[in-house]
Amino acid sequence: MSRILVAFLIVFPFIGLFLTFPTSFSWDEAILNTIAYVISIALVNVWLGVGTAWWLLFTESRWKSWVEWLTFLPLFIPVLASMFGMYIALAQVGLIGTYTGVGLVLLVTTLPYSIRLAYNAMYVIGRPLLEQALTFAPLARIGFVLLPLLKESVRTIVLFSTVIVLSQFVLVQLIGAGLIPTVTTRLYQAYAGNDVSQALQNTWVLVSLPVLFYIGLGGIFSIWIRLVKGRLQ
Amino acid sequence: MSLVLSGIRKRFKDRDVLSGIDLTIPNGEIHALVGVSGSGKSTLLRIIAGLETLDAGTVTWEELPLHGVPPHLRRITMLSQSPLLFPHLTVGENVTLATPNRSREEAEVWLTRVKLPGRYDAEVHELSGGEQQRVSFARALAAAPRLILLDEPFTNLDPGLKSELQRLIRDLVRELELTALLVTHDREEAMLVADRVTLLETGHVRVTGTPVLLSETESTFGDFVELGGAFYPSTEIDVSTEPTSDSLVLVRPFIRFGHHFGEYRRSTGEYVILPRNESFEVGKTYYLRQKQGGI
Repeated sequence: MSRILVAFLIVFPFIGLFLTFPTSFSWDEAILNTIAYVISIALVNVWLGVGTAWWLLFTESRWKSWVEWLTFLPLFIPVLASMFGMYIALAQVGLIGTYTGVGLVLLVTTLPYSIRLAYNAMYVIGRPLLEQALTFAPLARIGFVLLPLLKESVRTIVLFSTVIVLSQFVLVQLIGAGLIPTVTTRLYQAYAGNDVSQALQNTWVLVSLPVLFYIGLGGIFSIWIRLVKGRLQ
Repeated sequence: MSLVLSGIRKRFKDRDVLSGIDLTIPNGEIHALVGVSGSGKSTLLRIIAGLETLDAGTVTWEELPLHGVPPHLRRITMLSQSPLLFPHLTVGENVTLATPNRSREEAEVWLTRVKLPGRYDAEVHELSGGEQQRVSFARALAAAPRLILLDEPFTNLDPGLKSELQRLIRDLVRELELTALLVTHDREEAMLVADRVTLLETGHVRVTGTPVLLSETESTFGDFVELGGAFYPSTEIDVSTEPTSDSLVLVRPFIRFGHHFGEYRRSTGEYVILPRNESFEVGKTYYLRQKQGGI
């Protein structure tokens, strides 16, 4: 009985969606902006998240605990609380209402999660096993060992950063000054203006993107590992 | 041509782990670093492998200073307590990855050398701990190193497997004319495997010498025998095959370099190797007691 209840609670938000598919779909600036942000923020998150986690795991620097504290600090402060600080800082350098400004705040809000995810994954794999990879040249180390070992955490980082980027409405509106349209900002406008077909299309984009990226990345990793193993046969 | 460690110092937080280590290991030698936990032996190995930085001193290998040389360019491999095989690769793929040309044929030769022929396509988890350690050794050798670092690689193995792998590693290292540095807290293991032994104590080199020399000169190699909680020079101790009320059981007589030694365990839990005694016979049990009229 409890399983049925849990299943219902998980499926419940999507029941309405599956009953009403959009009848038409049109690519617009908001969708293209969203996809560009999702891909670029996810890539930078994987790069900086895994890189910082590696540094935190291996460094002996006396600054390590400070850096660790700083990188995880945003996890403890709600975005709404830090938003105004970011607004003032970006206004000083003229990045309000720009694509760069919006990209920067989206990165700032996602990166701490990515560092934590990558760090936890490396901690579970263990420093001794990761050190074995150091005996291989950098490209072989990444391609043959680190990517396959970290594939699940990379997928999770991409999923998390995608979902967080897609969830930001207030931040994008404030820093983008209403000039940078994304699916999320359009969705709220569609709801407010009672534009059902626009709202439905944007909702489907929001639901589809994380699922597509997660499944797509899984496929890419499977192909990659097959190639790696083929090279060793 | 040798490994030269000069003035190596390493400090972790408030503790000096290595306090000025000077050591020269000639090419082709199997050298054992013996010491209790915390004596700095594994840290020294990690510094040589490039996995740890040093605070002072130099490491020179084949006349080249290793400072700033990344681990993959050192031609040094390391074997640890755990096999540390990559789980997403098969047994053979783990070895192939280490070969300079990524050659399956070469990897199969190495697997045969460590007595695992035909296991190329086996998954890592299908192998026992001892077999995994052998694969790990094959991987270490497949990288064509000139120096191999052995960080207590026999610790987690059962006794039979342990001696089998000790012999295998010793024989292959000699055959390939590699230099090997073995870290262990087991003095018997050091005597069985190494050409020379260095005793490390709280970050210092206490003494370096052949196992036979150390067994005759070093108290930690059995110069003093514990009886009833007190220590006596070994010259004051009688050995017999008959037990008495004040006697101590002597276990595991063994032969090294053609000489007979025996090992017993002190009340502190520490194993002590007794000085040479040609009357020791492997497989027999002996008892120690204070000599009549002794101190």
